[in-house]
Amino acid sequence: MQPLTDELKSKIIKALNLDKVTPADIKQDEPLFGTGLGLDSLDALDLVSMLERDYGILIQDMESARQVFASYGTLEDYVQRNRR
Amino acid sequence: MSSRRPVVTGVGIVSAAGCGVSAMWDALRSGRSGLGPLSLFASPRYGHCQVGQVREDVDQLAGDASGSRSDKLAWIAAREAIQQSGLAMPATGIRAERTGVLLGSTVAGMLGTEEVVGALLRKQCRNFTPLRYHECASATDLCARRLGARGPTATFSTACSAGALAIATAAGLIEDDELDVALAGGADSLSRLTLNGFGSLLLLDADGCRPFDAARAGISLGEGAAMLVLEAEENARARGARILARLSGWGASCDASHPTAPDPQGVGAAAAMQQALERGGLSPSDIGFVIAHGTGTPDNDVMEARALRRVFGSAVPPFASVKRFFGHTLAASGAIKAVVCVQALREQAAPGNLGFENMDAEIGMQPAREFESRPVEQVLSSSFGFGGNNVVLVFSRADSPPSSRAAGVRRRSSGIPLAVLGAGLVSAGGHTMAGVRTALAAGGVTPSWLESPALFPLGRLRGYTCGDFGAGEAIPAARRRRLGRLQQMALVAAKRSLPQGLPASISPERVCAAIGTGLGCLGETAAFVENMLINEERAPLAGRFANSVHNACASQLAIELNLRGLNSTATHRRISFEAALWHCANELREGRADMALAGAADELSPYTQAAGERWGWWDENAPAIRPFDRELTGRRRPLPGEGAAVFALARAGEASPESARLSGVHFGRFAARPGGLPEAQKEAVWIRNTLERDGIPPASADLLLTGANGWPSWDDAYREVASALSVLCGHEVSLGAYKQVSGEHYSASAFGFFVALGLVRGEIEPALCMAGMPSVIPAAGQPRTVLLYTLSPGGSHALCCVCA
Repeated sequence: MQPLTDELKSKIIKALNLDKVTPADIKQDEPLFGTGLGLDSLDALDLVSMLERDYGILIQDMESARQVFASYGTLEDYVQRNRR
Repeated sequence: MSSRRPVVTGVGIVSAAGCGVSAMWDALRSGRSGLGPLSLFASPRYGHCQVGQVREDVDQLAGDASGSRSDKLAWIAAREAIQQSGLAMPATGIRAERTGVLLGSTVAGMLGTEEVVGALLRKQCRNFTPLRYHECASATDLCARRLGARGPTATFSTACSAGALAIATAAGLIEDDELDVALAGGADSLSRLTLNGFGSLLLLDADGCRPFDAARAGISLGEGAAMLVLEAEENARARGARILARLSGWGASCDASHPTAPDPQGVGAAAAMQQALERGGLSPSDIGFVIAHGTGTPDNDVMEARALRRVFGSAVPPFASVKRFFGHTLAASGAIKAVVCVQALREQAAPGNLGFENMDAEIGMQPAREFESRPVEQVLSSSFGFGGNNVVLVFSRADSPPSSRAAGVRRRSSGIPLAVLGAGLVSAGGHTMAGVRTALAAGGVTPSWLESPALFPLGRLRGYTCGDFGAGEAIPAARRRRLGRLQQMALVAAKRSLPQGLPASISPERVCAAIGTGLGCLGETAAFVENMLINEERAPLAGRFANSVHNACASQLAIELNLRGLNSTATHRRISFEAALWHCANELREGRADMALAGAADELSPYTQAAGERWGWWDENAPAIRPFDRELTGRRRPLPGEGAAVFALARAGEASPESARLSGVHFGRFAARPGGLPEAQKEAVWIRNTLERDGIPPASADLLLTGANGWPSWDDAYREVASALSVLCGHEVSLGAYKQVSGEHYSASAFGFFVALGLVRGEIEPALCMAGMPSVIPAAGQPRTVLLYTLSPGGSHALCCVCA
């Protein structure tokens, strides 16, 4: 795995308090919400907070959040392109 | 015709759209929004957002009333309502002990608390005074003190429906003949916490909210207060008060679906509306106008439209949200809408939905656009809070006759016995009856030392902590990861009270839940506020905000256990448990619920410790809490504690196994001597009269189980009350205490209730409640009736009567 992948997956696990989840459980193309990890809208907002704190990325509305969090892959891609 | 029907004899309001009812109505008539720039405090991240800030000088308007901004707002609105109704005491036809104050509050003194926390973070805090007004009960006690009320007085904190719940509660107390007159409403000021909190949920529309509009993008935060004087019709008529409107129906439900978002289908909201209509004996077609909750968030407004369709079908009455006039005033919102309803009925006109331009296809209906004259007999108003706590009120014109189908004259129900089916505990003295018995037999629990967070210069903290309370086994990790510690404590206690879960025969709509909490999830609230201040509002913690509301425990129980009836959170210092218990008892007795979970939960926090140390509430060097122990010398103060207890209740005789009976729960305000202590003789008379009214022979009261905590003056007060009660009842009423095990915290009386169950079931010998207290003669034999009696700073008292 690439360094960003390791780091980002660990940050997701920590931000969402996902005790029993390992980075390998977070699949590249699986949806983050609903199915997959079973996350909900409050988790999405806690990820928004993590992205701002750790990567300087601001997401200001739910619609953008939905697109960014479509899957782990879209999130990583977004972080790669927008991190500061 | 029932003369106990609640009518409105006074209204008062202070808001961004005007201070005073006539100024407010003028703003609605002329379509003038109260939204504007934020100047109350600096907000680096959300300072550009339009807010509904009260522009008048609140300190000046409040006169000599001291307290937080929320407290002052509450008093300003209360004063107007009191003046209009002619309630200012001494008034003819008003009895202090039959007058109560019921308020909703959620932000309370947070604005001042933020300043204290900010100064602590900069290590330069000298002024801890704002923490004195931090609590939700602060505004209620201020209003009750100034009004001179001595009847049932409590505070409710179901987030954005709290003001409406307080009004509904006052109406219930009036119908049940506990009160003749009540000041009821809600108040909340703007704060950094709520602004950043709604910001963290991406729910702020910086340009101002646009309720029901296709382009709506969130709320505008507001502040204010509104109050009603509610009165039994017979009382209002007897004293010649002018009746402005009647409160003809009310209903409450819980979505049991999500901590912050409404159930998208609006099932819970519709259930509350239907309940309100049924209670008033009304048909949907009787409603002439709806003052909607209409926050302007995408989710709320779609949900609300669906709920309206569920209830009204294709004939949805004209409706409007007034949020662009006031902003979303949180706990004040339901009360502000109530005042708008009363004005609409008096003026026979209704406001337009400011901010609406284009219809949203998903909503599929449009609100009333303009202020218009409307002949209306009935106006319905909805309030929906975090945790799916829904409350709906229906007001009718003063001269409209009550429906013949309205819930008719009821007999007074407060004496109907209830069965306690189960009890769950999380405490410093263990989590089982056997553990509590052992701890009592040992004379109490030894307080432990806790590490203090680096933020606090006080060093180590000391108190009665629950340690590992079994959350790991009781709550699956996937559910636990989002819950704050206090929510986990309450949930574990609730699961222990229902080891088999809810009986399958009981419908979730008919199960209510009410949790008392003096201070709510302090750990979560502190985490959000500290992060906000340290990071200068960057990266706000949405999950922590969701958990920071006082009703996070009660609504989490509803979500986990699927409880869809009334969901209440009472926040009134040491009688929070009893006020919550009253809601459950009332729902069961009136047949709206078949089962109820009632309890209370509070957690230890360095903030309570810091404030208490400063003012001498705690003594961290005290050996332990030793109630009634006169042999201890020196400066005796209690030590803080924490805990949760939840009880499953049903009507007696309808369910099994019954482990004990609750035959009465009452709360009110005591007549205080100088120094804030109660007059023992008056307390004894109150207890005896209360028992007699409930049909309990005072001679059967064997044991007064008190909240004594070793503080000499309060211990003496409890002791004097027991002596006076013994004289009145003609037999020796013995004393008991429990805080040597629970520690002192706002939910300790729920622990006391657990002990009372053990006493009447013969599982705890009465002498154990006095173990090691040589100056008190312990009771002999197993008590038949235990009176759980609680006194609270701020002037509140409560009584629960527990029988075998």
